[in-house]
Amino acid sequence: MTSGETPAALDDIRVLDLAGETGQYCTKLLADLGADVIKVEPPSGDPVRALPPYFQDDPNTSLYWLNLNTNKRSITLDISHPQAGPLFEKLLRTADVVVESFEPGHLDALGLGYAGLSRIRPDVILTSITGFGQWGPHARYKAPDIVGVAMGGVMWLAGEPEDPPNLPPWKQGYISASIIGAAGTLVALYHRDVTGEGQHVDVSMQESLSLNQETAMQTWDMIQALRCRNGSRGIIPIDIPGIGIYECTDGHVFGYLGTPGGAPWSAMLDWMIQESEAEDLTDEPHKSFIDNLNLRFLTGLFQEPAKLGEKIQIMSHIKQVLTRFVSRRSKWEMYEGGQGRRLLWGIVSTPQDIAENPQLTHRKWLADVHHPELGATLRYPGPPYRLSETPWAIRRRPPLAGEHNAELFGELRVSEDEWRALQAAGAV
Amino acid sequence: MSNLPLAGLKIADFSWFGAGPICALHLATYGATVVRIESETRIDSLRTIAPMAKDKTGYNVSGYFNNFNAGKLDITLNLNTAQGLEIATQLVAWADVFLTNFTPRVVERWGLTYDKLAEINPRIIAAYQPMQGYDGPHRDYLGFGAVLTPITGYSHMSGFPQRKPVGLGTNYPDYVINPGHTLIAILAALRYRHRTGKGQRIECAQLESSVCPLGPAIFDYTANGRVQTRAGNGLPNAAPHNAFKCRPLSDAGRPMDERWVAIACFSDAEWQALVEAMGKPAWALDAKFSTLAARKTNEPELDAGVSAWTADKDAYDLMRDLQSSGVPAGVVQSARELLDVDEHLKARGYYAYLDHPETGRAAYDGPPFKLSKTPGALRSPAPQLGQHTEYVCKEILGLTDEQIADLLVEGVLA
Repeated sequence: MTSGETPAALDDIRVLDLAGETGQYCTKLLADLGADVIKVEPPSGDPVRALPPYFQDDPNTSLYWLNLNTNKRSITLDISHPQAGPLFEKLLRTADVVVESFEPGHLDALGLGYAGLSRIRPDVILTSITGFGQWGPHARYKAPDIVGVAMGGVMWLAGEPEDPPNLPPWKQGYISASIIGAAGTLVALYHRDVTGEGQHVDVSMQESLSLNQETAMQTWDMIQALRCRNGSRGIIPIDIPGIGIYECTDGHVFGYLGTPGGAPWSAMLDWMIQESEAEDLTDEPHKSFIDNLNLRFLTGLFQEPAKLGEKIQIMSHIKQVLTRFVSRRSKWEMYEGGQGRRLLWGIVSTPQDIAENPQLTHRKWLADVHHPELGATLRYPGPPYRLSETPWAIRRRPPLAGEHNAELFGELRVSEDEWRALQAAGAV
Repeated sequence: MSNLPLAGLKIADFSWFGAGPICALHLATYGATVVRIESETRIDSLRTIAPMAKDKTGYNVSGYFNNFNAGKLDITLNLNTAQGLEIATQLVAWADVFLTNFTPRVVERWGLTYDKLAEINPRIIAAYQPMQGYDGPHRDYLGFGAVLTPITGYSHMSGFPQRKPVGLGTNYPDYVINPGHTLIAILAALRYRHRTGKGQRIECAQLESSVCPLGPAIFDYTANGRVQTRAGNGLPNAAPHNAFKCRPLSDAGRPMDERWVAIACFSDAEWQALVEAMGKPAWALDAKFSTLAARKTNEPELDAGVSAWTADKDAYDLMRDLQSSGVPAGVVQSARELLDVDEHLKARGYYAYLDHPETGRAAYDGPPFKLSKTPGALRSPAPQLGQHTEYVCKEILGLTDEQIADLLVEGVLA
């Protein structure tokens, strides 16, 4: 259903999108790759349309929803309505994939589980994205994002020890589940293309999140040590100068000096000398310590904590001088100045910094989409990837609820009488 | 295993660290033949990072590395030699998919750019995961997940407002976001090739890929000029919505003994169910908690009330009781609990235990999704460094024993 000449990778695929919040990033990924994603909304509209943030505080225009629904079409149809069956069947016959996130068993009860769907469309791929997957003792647990990231081990690792475990921002449980759901759908499509066989893809938010634990799972398994939240240090067990968060005049930067790939710590010292802000770091014992401050040295330190004692004071002093240096500079100065010297400094970006990031600007990452009914052009978050032959694009602004009812009824040859009957019955 | 959906697909995995190898790991799990190209001359740092199997040392016993590389064939190849590059081109000729997350500078130095690869294999799908992209003013900036987490906004957006931006405690985008997005792009490109015969170039710049999941915050800025910041564990449309401290595992006061339960009430019905479960305490019946808006206004007091109730209770009992009353709740599980306690993950067999010649039996993350007819499987543990060099040279590249011996002597297969 793409317009224009540029092909899209999935432009021969139709997806019925029955998914709630848990799975909407999945169907966005498929739609942005060119699939014809038809959102099947209840006649009252998708409840996700009501979630903040809103455009100009208008609760009828959810930016959260818009971002998740680019390139989709919308039909309003109550699939649980007794009279909706024939229309849904017609729609299903044209579909390659159905994505849903209902509580396991809900669609089965409507006769629309995998068994029901595949009777109508034998090679259909049904992708179910839920908190805990389709079966198992927790399968029917209620699983908003926070329950997923709690049970998936991600919250346990995030935050300062003094605070409760931190919730990752913007519903990362739904994001991981949706990414894994899109990958699962595409693997199932690959198999269908080769063999003609469809199947049921079972995605659990909890399982999707597990890899995000980094080394925590293996650390417990191999040496029965438990990684716990420790602020910004992450995998580094002690406080090392140049590793961690530093305050600037207008925000923060994060340093990871002395680790592989980047310039050595001595390049940082050179910068400080150049600006006449090295203080006494050019003297011993600091100078020799800095010359040796690399990952191998650090690994040695971690393995022999007994030798750590004498070094602590040196490290603490180096950190203080560095802290003063950073505190006189802006975050962009530190980021661009540091990276220009191949020093591993990263800016702690705010959303504004991201929107104004020179790299993203150069690459035209943000995408302008006109919304005639809002009288506005909105600047959307852009692509996660670029494909040379089949470029990512927003070809269609997110749909109004039921915007494509007439268009789809036409495509499906639903007569005007049938449509009116459904409308009268409250099914559309 | 004939029922693996990607059987027959061939991947040349020229990647290292997390984002690349995990992408190829999933392809291997569903049946692709993945050849991981490494070199003794530039060891993947993950092989040297803890945890190491108990009382073991060396390049083959890191749980960090091993968990991301199960089911792959592994060869050592020195790409800084002309013959090493020649063998690389043979692997490119063999492969359906080429994958790398080396920096643009290194990729260009080795001549592994798409134009060159397409000359060797016009149908190749070549996936690149640069940090910032192959063009632009920050093209050569360095980094990996640890630095990417702040650069892409996760650090600013997570945690409590009175704290410094601490991030998520991990190199977060390395493990699902960036490998996952790249995997999706590769699979979509494979489908397109299946239809048209055309290969293509994929660029998954880790900056862009990592920023996408924070889209709502960026959109709020571009559309409204509002700069969101970290806001603790709350959500605008739920209260309570937080992690609450429960009875610890012991009285030792160690962080590892803490127990927390996440509780979230979006609807009044869920709140009423929670009030019931708490035994209808007087404080909870107050009008200042009767609606979502009121609960949001009085959230600190609300959280204190719920906390007082959970403090002496077992987190798992709370989760079970609340879930059976219709209240969303989940234990804030640690890795220990995911592996050893979680009955649900055990029933589903999520973690796989594989015997490895050096580490012994070890746990691995299992297939990330379950396909009803063609489930994936970890077919072998992570390879030892260069474990399959000879096999790959012989069986995949068709080299003779003599040629292989020469390459070994000349330090090409190192």
